[in-house]
Amino acid sequence: MMRQLILLIATIVVAPFIGGLLFGIDRRITARLQGRFGPPILQPFYDFLKLIGKERIAVSRLQFVWIYAYLVFMVGSLLCLVFQSDFLILVFLLGFAGVSLVLAGFSTKSPYSHFGANRELLQIMAYEPVLLLLAIGIYAQNGTFLISEIFNQSRPLIFSLWPLFIAVLYVLTIKMRKSPFDIATSHHAHQEIVKGVITEFSGPYYALYQLAEWYEIVLVLGIVALFWTNPLWVGILIALAAFLLELLIDNIAARMTAPWMVRLSWTVGLILGVLNIAYIYFTKGVS
Amino acid sequence: MGLIHNSRIKSPWIMHFDNSSCNGCDIEVLACLTPLYDVERFGIVNMGNPKHADVLLITGPVNRRTARVLRNLYDQVPGPKMVIAVGTCASTGGVFHNCYNVLGGVDKVVPVDVYIPGCSVRPEAIIDGVVLALQKLASANL
Amino acid sequence: MTDGMMAIAILLPLLAGLVIFLVRDYYARNVVVVVTALTLIANSILFVVKGPFTYTPTGFNWGLVIEVLDYAILIFYLYLGFTLRNWLVLIFAVTQLIPLAYFEFVMKAHVEVAPAFVVDNLAIIMCLVISIVGSLICIYALRYMYDHEQHAHVEKSRQSRFLLWLVLFLGAMNGLVFANNLVWLYFFWEVTTMCSFMLISHDKTELAIKNAARALWMNSTGGTAFIIAIIYLYVTQGGASALSMQNIIGGTLQGSILLLPVALLCYTGCTKAAQMPFQSWLLGAMVAPTPVSALLHSSTMVKAGVYLVLRLAPAYAGTYVSTAVAIVGAFTFFGTSALAISQSTGKRVLAYSTIANLGLIIACAGINTPLSIAAAILLIIFHAISKGMLFLCAGTIEHLIWSRDIEDMEGLAAKAPLTTLITALGILSMFLPPFGMLLGKWIALEAAYRIPLAAVLFVLASTMTIVFWTKWLGRLLQVLPKLGWPFEKLSLSYSVPLWTLLVGIFVVGIGVAPIYQNFVASAAHNVISGTQIFASGWDNMSLSGTSVKGLLGYFPVWALYAVFAIAVLLPLIFVGLKPTQLRPVYMCGEQSGAMDADEYMAEADTKTKVILGGYYFQDSLGEKTLNPVVNTIAILLLVIMIGCGVILK
Repeated sequence: MMRQLILLIATIVVAPFIGGLLFGIDRRITARLQGRFGPPILQPFYDFLKLIGKERIAVSRLQFVWIYAYLVFMVGSLLCLVFQSDFLILVFLLGFAGVSLVLAGFSTKSPYSHFGANRELLQIMAYEPVLLLLAIGIYAQNGTFLISEIFNQSRPLIFSLWPLFIAVLYVLTIKMRKSPFDIATSHHAHQEIVKGVITEFSGPYYALYQLAEWYEIVLVLGIVALFWTNPLWVGILIALAAFLLELLIDNIAARMTAPWMVRLSWTVGLILGVLNIAYIYFTKGVS
Repeated sequence: MGLIHNSRIKSPWIMHFDNSSCNGCDIEVLACLTPLYDVERFGIVNMGNPKHADVLLITGPVNRRTARVLRNLYDQVPGPKMVIAVGTCASTGGVFHNCYNVLGGVDKVVPVDVYIPGCSVRPEAIIDGVVLALQKLASANL
Repeated sequence: MTDGMMAIAILLPLLAGLVIFLVRDYYARNVVVVVTALTLIANSILFVVKGPFTYTPTGFNWGLVIEVLDYAILIFYLYLGFTLRNWLVLIFAVTQLIPLAYFEFVMKAHVEVAPAFVVDNLAIIMCLVISIVGSLICIYALRYMYDHEQHAHVEKSRQSRFLLWLVLFLGAMNGLVFANNLVWLYFFWEVTTMCSFMLISHDKTELAIKNAARALWMNSTGGTAFIIAIIYLYVTQGGASALSMQNIIGGTLQGSILLLPVALLCYTGCTKAAQMPFQSWLLGAMVAPTPVSALLHSSTMVKAGVYLVLRLAPAYAGTYVSTAVAIVGAFTFFGTSALAISQSTGKRVLAYSTIANLGLIIACAGINTPLSIAAAILLIIFHAISKGMLFLCAGTIEHLIWSRDIEDMEGLAAKAPLTTLITALGILSMFLPPFGMLLGKWIALEAAYRIPLAAVLFVLASTMTIVFWTKWLGRLLQVLPKLGWPFEKLSLSYSVPLWTLLVGIFVVGIGVAPIYQNFVASAAHNVISGTQIFASGWDNMSLSGTSVKGLLGYFPVWALYAVFAIAVLLPLIFVGLKPTQLRPVYMCGEQSGAMDADEYMAEADTKTKVILGGYYFQDSLGEKTLNPVVNTIAILLLVIMIGCGVILK
């Protein structure tokens, strides 16, 4: 019990530091890829602290509720991963986090935020099936959705689920808001919908959103790491490699339209997922 | 408050607003973001959204149409905020000062913290102006 | 004791309905309805206390009464077919009447089945759902119909007639879930079909009558399949014992010949549950006053369809029919979820979502493991509560803004905060953790891996479910920068059912583990334990197996509720905002005037209102594009399902 409590607090405290650092590295590497020097590695933390200290302004009372819910569900989802609980519940909580962000965008009559929220909804539509298929793939392989079982298996998931791994890289691009899928909002300079779904978040509210994003990146990279859990450091290396790959993709791709994203994700992602599950089903049968 | 205070200086997010300039200053503002000057070194990011901005970079003289817009945008920037008038026109009205539709410099509508003269301003001058604004922010007891 | 309980469950609604019909006074009628509702609720709880039993009514020739009424209903259909000049109604009335007459007069069938009623755990759960949710909807209807007629300026009140059918429906449903004798089940089945016709056509508009007729003939095809199944069973299995539901699912009949009638009965269940391609009758039923939609599409009518398929599960377990049923259900879940995205009318979204969830339940029955059956029962319970409440919310909203369009509900949170809060919680409870529907889906996904195609369809459908619910919720909760909520007062007849159902969602949701272990698990066992043919294989997957225990027995559902409370409820209640902290929304600095204005300055400084809307994808997911494709596939699947019954014995 004591150990679990320490783990709980450690997760909540340490994860944002890792996430913020990853974002700092992201900005630095992106700058280098563009021939610039780039900001300090700790820049995301400066931004965060500055935003916390800004004046609290808002467009509606509901806005805070949903941004905060986004953060809490993201943390809940991450805790599911850390405590090796049910993978399906993790996906559902992540889904609620996504829905909260959409509702935060919808909670005001701002054209840009509304546009962004609609697109964010499309993003959910694009990545949610892949994550759920991954859950089914894990079930097919292990006979349970429990993450702890993944750690018990000596054979890494990536050997049997490599098509789903490729599909998950898609999800990673969408979740990290990287080109070509940064359609709802973007980390870079302004776009046609200003800042999309986060246009109306300002000051401390925006800080909360950033905090949630830090948890999110740790979570999605953690999901990637699940593909190789024995030993775990290989999985972490794979996740970091995937992270670097996303940065590269971000800098060589242009942003695409939302329908294109959904179509691509539903065709490529689903075909990979379905073939993967079908293969396991027919070779392994119902466990 | 020390941490937050220091962070403010390290992370000025700018919003660039063009009143009715000849676009000369605007090009120079954007030039700051290029690899040659790379203002992101100082944590400066062009946001394009008043709700995320700390510093308003304003180019061109205020005219009757943009005065209202400028006021609206200024109100939407959460404090503490800085306003920088970029270029001669933004500072005083410049060559347009006696046009029938021009009110004058930016300070006719919103309080200005730093004036950067020049026609058009050099990117180095803009960076210098932002640094001056930050020094003001640092000395201010917010 | 049992005499009284059965009489109250089945006959009291009829009696009360007649009294309501005769008593024309508004207040006296209200008292009768409320008393009946409370009695039914108390009675259903008595069933829980008493536990399972069997019952055969004595002292009166009930069989004869039911026969006579059967013919009366069918002749009434004939009459309707003639007066409405609807050939489909006429044809399917004849196709029921002739086999029934042949069965009784030519074959001189002897249909005494003992016991006539079997009250088991599944039936008790159904009875609880029907009695509690149904009764609350009846109470809601009191005020709703009053407002409805006030708004429509009806000359002569027809409320009493409406309430007669509404209350009678509950009795028919109770009879349906308890009946063991297939002929009696068929009778109750027809009563629900007839009531639904009367209720859908209540407003007597052209559209209402047309849609009611469609509901009638589509359900009559199911009735036809039902009567054919009865005759087939009687002939091939030798006598009345084949007409006992317990014998059909108990494995005492010849398994090989059993499949065809069972497949036909599944088809009947699919028509009543409005599975594709029959979804159009349920959508058409949306023209009716909202209590009808709430009653027909949450707790009764459509639940009769899924109940039949679920009840028959052991009879087709392990066969290709089972797989086909699973695919039919899963495909409906998928197809209607996609169609729901394109809908902008609130009630149509609810209708599509209902069909989708019924599809999920039927798919669970088709997957046919104890786990999936348990998931199906959980889904029935949670769906009845949540969807019943959402329909009532839709009705309340309709009476606030006199529109059913989702786009018109924009900013409802600022106009009617209380209704919006309840609606929003209802919508959240349909598709997100920690609420019950999601727990059901969770178990369903776990069980679905036996049929991977169903699992994949589940995944896609769940995703689309998120899209259309979130879109609707977003419209409700979109507010302008303004502080303070108006005070909203709801009529008691509205607020009592709404609050009761809302509390129900949370109570049943938080207490899901004990409810699951004490009721659902035993009910699921009830469904399958009668099976002798396939029982051996099921021991391995028995309910005490690790997975369910891990999920619900020990999984702290309350922890999810705690996360929900921390995330949503706490800030909603405690985090306020000062007027000085409000800012108008960003419109490139061109927003005009007041803080809460939703206008911007367009060219020449003209104020222009901002108009926002959701994505509906009419081109790719609209009914015009999708219907031909999905209906064709659905018809093929149904043919395959029945074909499996014929060929693969």
